[in-house]
Amino acid sequence: MGKKRADVYSVEVCGPTDLEKIDEGDERYKDLKGNKGKPKKKDELKKELELDDHRLSVEELEEKYGTSITKGLSSARAAEILARDGPNALTPPKATPEIIKFLKQMVGGFSILLWVGALFSWVSFGIQLAQGVDSAFDNLYLGVVLALVVVLTGIFAYYQEAKSTNIMASFSKMIPQQALVIRDAEKKEISAEQLVVGDIVEIKGGDRIPADIRLIFAQGCKVDNSSLTGESEPQSRSCDFTHENPLETKNIAFYSTTCLEGTATGIVINTGDSTVIGRIASLASGVGNEKTPIAIEIQHFVYMVAGVAISIGVLFFIISVSMRYKILDSIIFLIGIIVANVPEGLLATVTVSLSLTAKRMAKKNCLVKNLEAVETLGSTSIICSDKTGTLTQNRMTVAHLWFDNQIFQADTSENQTTQTFDQSSQTWAALSKIVTLCNRAEFRPGQENVPIMKRIVGGDASETALLKFSEVILGDVMDVRSRNKKVTEIPFNSTNKYQLSIHETEDPNDKRFLLVMKGAPERILERCSTIMINGKEEPLDSEKAEAFQTAYMELGGLGERVLGFCHLYLPEDEFPDTYPFDTDSMNFPTSNLCFVGLLSMIDPPRSTVPDAVCKCRSAGIKVIMVTGDHPITAKAIAKSVGIISATSETVEDIAKRLNVPVEHVNRRDATAAVVNGMELKDMTLEQLDEILNNHSEIVFARTSPQQKLIIVEGCQRQNAVVAVTGDGVNDSPALKKADIGIAMGIAGSDAAKNAADMILLDDNFASIVTGVEEGRLIFDNLKKTIAYTLTKNIAELCPFLIYIIASVPLPIGTITILFIDLGTDIIPSVALAYEKAESDIMNRRPRNKKKDRLVNQQLAVYSYLQIGIIQSIGAFLTYFTVYAEQGFLPSTLLGVRVNWENNYINDFEDSYGQEWTKYQRTYLQWSGYTAFFVSITIEQVADLIIRKTRRNSIFQQGLFRNKVIWVGIFSQIAIALILCYGLGSVTALNFTPLRVQYWFVAVPYAILIWVYDEFRKLLIRRYPGSWWDKNMYY
Amino acid sequence: MVLLKPTDITARGLILLFYLVFYGFLAALFTFTMWVMLQTLSSDIPKYRDRISSPGLMISPKPVTALEFAFNKSDSRSYETYTASLRNFLASYNDSKQSRNIVCTSGQPFEQKEDLGKKACRFNRTQLGPCSGLEDENFGYAKGTPCVLVKMNRIIGLKPEGEPYIQCFSKEEGKVQITYFPAGGTIDLMYFPYYGKKLHAHYLQPLVAVQLAINSNSTKEEITIECKILGSPNLKNEDDRDKFLGRISFKVQMSE
Repeated sequence: MGKKRADVYSVEVCGPTDLEKIDEGDERYKDLKGNKGKPKKKDELKKELELDDHRLSVEELEEKYGTSITKGLSSARAAEILARDGPNALTPPKATPEIIKFLKQMVGGFSILLWVGALFSWVSFGIQLAQGVDSAFDNLYLGVVLALVVVLTGIFAYYQEAKSTNIMASFSKMIPQQALVIRDAEKKEISAEQLVVGDIVEIKGGDRIPADIRLIFAQGCKVDNSSLTGESEPQSRSCDFTHENPLETKNIAFYSTTCLEGTATGIVINTGDSTVIGRIASLASGVGNEKTPIAIEIQHFVYMVAGVAISIGVLFFIISVSMRYKILDSIIFLIGIIVANVPEGLLATVTVSLSLTAKRMAKKNCLVKNLEAVETLGSTSIICSDKTGTLTQNRMTVAHLWFDNQIFQADTSENQTTQTFDQSSQTWAALSKIVTLCNRAEFRPGQENVPIMKRIVGGDASETALLKFSEVILGDVMDVRSRNKKVTEIPFNSTNKYQLSIHETEDPNDKRFLLVMKGAPERILERCSTIMINGKEEPLDSEKAEAFQTAYMELGGLGERVLGFCHLYLPEDEFPDTYPFDTDSMNFPTSNLCFVGLLSMIDPPRSTVPDAVCKCRSAGIKVIMVTGDHPITAKAIAKSVGIISATSETVEDIAKRLNVPVEHVNRRDATAAVVNGMELKDMTLEQLDEILNNHSEIVFARTSPQQKLIIVEGCQRQNAVVAVTGDGVNDSPALKKADIGIAMGIAGSDAAKNAADMILLDDNFASIVTGVEEGRLIFDNLKKTIAYTLTKNIAELCPFLIYIIASVPLPIGTITILFIDLGTDIIPSVALAYEKAESDIMNRRPRNKKKDRLVNQQLAVYSYLQIGIIQSIGAFLTYFTVYAEQGFLPSTLLGVRVNWENNYINDFEDSYGQEWTKYQRTYLQWSGYTAFFVSITIEQVADLIIRKTRRNSIFQQGLFRNKVIWVGIFSQIAIALILCYGLGSVTALNFTPLRVQYWFVAVPYAILIWVYDEFRKLLIRRYPGSWWDKNMYY
Repeated sequence: MVLLKPTDITARGLILLFYLVFYGFLAALFTFTMWVMLQTLSSDIPKYRDRISSPGLMISPKPVTALEFAFNKSDSRSYETYTASLRNFLASYNDSKQSRNIVCTSGQPFEQKEDLGKKACRFNRTQLGPCSGLEDENFGYAKGTPCVLVKMNRIIGLKPEGEPYIQCFSKEEGKVQITYFPAGGTIDLMYFPYYGKKLHAHYLQPLVAVQLAINSNSTKEEITIECKILGSPNLKNEDDRDKFLGRISFKVQMSE
């Protein structure tokens, strides 16, 4: 097992050893690309090895690509190559052809059932036509209407889907990348998509590398290869051929990586899909897309309803045949039963509800690509989150200071304007001077009105942090620097591990020079003989050194990057004004300095994150941090945001506390775990499962983006619904594998965005939590919508059953049913999507995808067998009332069907001795339809109100909080009024103007529905866990 | 045989009990509301007559399928059903059945104010002449002059205006001679208004007999006869959708 697992991370094309393996072992990729196209993949990978441009000299390159490093390609030649190779962009994953998508909508869900209904209608039309029955055309129209319903709902669903896809498309087009290229011996800014092999491009700090580039000139160029390798340390780039492996050599920069600093010029050697990243991305596209939980739920629901429809249909087909009805009549009954049972408008409603939520989420910075993913987020039980940028602010900030033997805490919030720690000490004055002066970072000009924390700075992360820190405290840093003119400096380098500069002092009377230095604390301390305490220099004895060590360890233990600061006023006599400082010969002291203090920096958590993590926790969602960062930093951040709670310990913590070796600690005692990527590599599946199972708080540190995939799969083995955040190209397999992949909108690469189901526009973890809330809400609300919609199916079905069994005149027609399903009921059921949560939405565990179904037995039973039945008898009361008041008492109606429907009986006697023609009866029958329809509509109003809550009383929820419900109710009644009185004269629709009082016959039953449901909810609230609760709560 | 755990049995029992009570309650409620609704109705006349403002026409005898007569005048079995049906229909017009019926004033509606026991007007079978079945028990079917009775649907409270009469014509010219009994196909106003089955128990609706003398050269041909009620402005006979409102059309095919 463990062996097999190793396959997955060998996708990591970062190591030189892996690359050779790729060549030999096609097998290794089987997890990622499926079985198809094996030979092709192999070829592509071979091609990767053929990349030898890094070995070639500039002249050879010029010759190979027919270009010139000074003049570049000619526009004509570039256009030619562009036509040959295609644009320089990753091909998005192959989209399903539009026509297939459309056809899928035509046969999905209930469509098949309705097609069957339509087919039956046409068959019976054909037969009746041959028999010369007058009413044959009714069946033709019914069939056409059914087909139309399928086609229209299909078009609607297709349109909705297309719309959400379009949001995505527009999003990815928002940021067209530009590249500076030399063509026709001129520098031109062109769209990166237009780049072709052989183009000469110039890159500077901050740019994204627009293609795979062989560098021919570089100055201080550093790239961030994290999107390719997951390694976040900047790597320098030059034009030297340093390694046989193209991925390791310094003279190649890869597409989609970022140039951090410096400048470089290079020849484009690969574009678009043939770039290294392009090839990895295409591997990722092979990872199967799981069916979303809501899709599974809807399918379950469709099967259930279809099952009910078919079984009742077949049952009554058999009954009617055995009751000696004609086969043809039986088939017509069957159509009626199918139409009554299928909630035609429901799937469209679900789509609308989901897209409404998607819109709402987009406002909260969650852009949903796939509509169904809206709900997936709600059922998420594990979130695997990135650290940098998602949980943290993605910028170094000073977090702690240590001077005068004391640790001070600094404000790390996003928009700090002041610092509140004690700044009265003289030591602080000295320290702040060092911090200000010994710093090469500068604000970019023209940002005076921008808040300090938001200003753009030229310089590395730590220096930026220090610059902003001192700007906040001291005000104009540039002014301080100009008053203390810099005489000379030694920039930071990795061998010295310090940075030094010498300044004139701002005090005109003090002619001494000030030497300031910062660097790795232990290196700084080595050079010091004194330490400043309360403004006074004191000798650095072992006690004080001890204090330093304790502070250093403590800050380091917080995962913070610690810097030491020291200074020395150079004696005026030895170093007069004109002293020629020389950094090469180091003609100034760099030892016996005065240690002033420590500053520690961290990329602090976003201020909203701890609260969000806490919400996740109470919502039963496990948050797992997966980061490439150092375990200590990762753990510190995890602790500060609450991923590891204050009281829980890791195995290592327990070992430390009990002072026993790690092996002796019972692993189950530890609730938290920090797993190193190195450990993960050697783990078997079982070990990983054990960790995921036994620890509630987990941090994976030093993981490569590829290991995310293993972690995701591990979580999925625990039956969890996993959300994964990611930004790099290499995250895309994990994003695809996850039940819901969340790409970062700001930091995310296109490949990650392509693979993801959702895009976090602000890269903020807290947005995920609001997304979860929306997702859970929509699940609850869809339940309500479905319960609402299913209820009236019984009221539509019963008429047919009574009609067949008791042979009464048909109480409601098929067309009329369609007017309920696709007319009056649509807006109210969408309105339920606007319903607010019933208080406890984020305090319960995520739903168990096996047990907590969208449509469970309770929901179906309660809707079908209880509320549905009440509705039916309410509607039947109206039906009987209409007939009775017009002359047909209920006793007269039983068993009349055959004569009633006989076209040649035109003296049909009613209960009072009056005689009716066929058309008069039919017209009365339509009045019956209308009355039945009106009653269902009135009772659906009550149904709508009770569906607002499942547990709470309507009064707790508030009748008027959801205004859309009222829009729904009014629309419902308005549509019914229009159909009844406006279109009552259109015979084809079978509506007739109805006496006003018939609208109120079912009102007592509507009230009963409401009272009964309040009673149900009351018992559920009063007796949780009781028999009633178990059977009545859906 | 699956043995259920005791808890299962209790749970199922409870559910069964619940639905028994629930549906019992609903049945009672439905019965009650139906009862209340029926209480609001009069047993004498229906509350509304929204759908029957104007009466339809109907014929007797009524062929089993469609309104198509087909018989052989020399084969008594072929018209047996028609004559039997006529005899049966006219039985209620026998004098013996009309002993309580009174002779009313012809030509004006017979309105009765008293609530109980509305009187019915006498309709003598003899008025139907050869179609009364009193002289010719075959109603002319054996002679090739079949009788068809045209009647107007009973509608409570309907009072025709003017002087209504039935007129029939054949679409095919000259194939048939039509004779009406009573003469001119008149329907006497004294038979109106009708007060309903309960109050007006012995009511007999007026009939018009139509005797069709089919030309001997038109036998074996299908003859379409259309009858209409005319002479009364408040009786509709031209409705587009209702082909039987104040009119009726039927086919006769006679063979020898």
